[in-house]
Amino acid sequence: MTPLLILTPLVVLAALGAIWKARPVHAALLLALTLALHAVLYLVLGADFIGLVQFMVYVGAVAVLIVFSLLITRPGDEAEEIARRPRSLATGLLCTVPVLVMLADLARLHAPSGTSPAAKRLPIAALGETLFTTHAPAVLGIAVLLTAVMIGAALLARETRGDTSIKDAPQTPERP
Amino acid sequence: MNPSAWLLTLSSLLFTLGLFAVLTRRNAILVLVGIELMLNAANLNFITFWRYGRPDDAANGPLFVLFSIAIAAAEAAVGLAIILAVFRHTRSTDLNRIDSLHG
Repeated sequence: MTPLLILTPLVVLAALGAIWKARPVHAALLLALTLALHAVLYLVLGADFIGLVQFMVYVGAVAVLIVFSLLITRPGDEAEEIARRPRSLATGLLCTVPVLVMLADLARLHAPSGTSPAAKRLPIAALGETLFTTHAPAVLGIAVLLTAVMIGAALLARETRGDTSIKDAPQTPERP
Repeated sequence: MNPSAWLLTLSSLLFTLGLFAVLTRRNAILVLVGIELMLNAANLNFITFWRYGRPDDAANGPLFVLFSIAIAAAEAAVGLAIILAVFRHTRSTDLNRIDSLHG
């Protein structure tokens, strides 16, 4: 329980920073910290493999992807973001506090009672075996999905002729 | 408070924080940050129920988390590609300005 008591406030603080920082790059870096702390949480709970996957995929890929997108799009006007804080805070709290109350109540009612073993380890061999026997169609489905996503993302991000970015470029005289 | 209730409360708090970001942020990329937070809160639920749930449950929770992480990675890639494509047209990622489909 002690590692959980130490980790929980850290996760909450990092997540608060990620959703509240006016500077987008700071928010993205704090998201990376939140995701890394999640990985540590999984390691503490005994799901070592999932913790490492979380670290590699989320911290190594998704967070870096978000930071790169922020660098490409160069978002500005932080002053405006800060100016509209009170209104957005009121709206956000009005919409999210009922959800929080409901979820916390559900968590209290449905939390498994403490009959579990003191330490539980994720059996990685068994996990691999189920993945490639029982859940093989799902793994194949994920493989197809990831391939489709790779091609789709490349197509979406490709520069096409009608784009403003090309219009902005200096015009070259057309050939007769 | 037993650890499972503690972790489930943490996960509901993280989900709510993600929802707050989705509802209040104006930058499309930071809305995606909120979505990632919500997905991670759900993953934490799976791991908690695996860890403190039935002792004979070998690896169903972590299995679900593996698939969820793969799908979340795909979602982030497509989401960011869409945002970049929109940015190239409108020169902005501000959701209040991207309103050309507004009635």
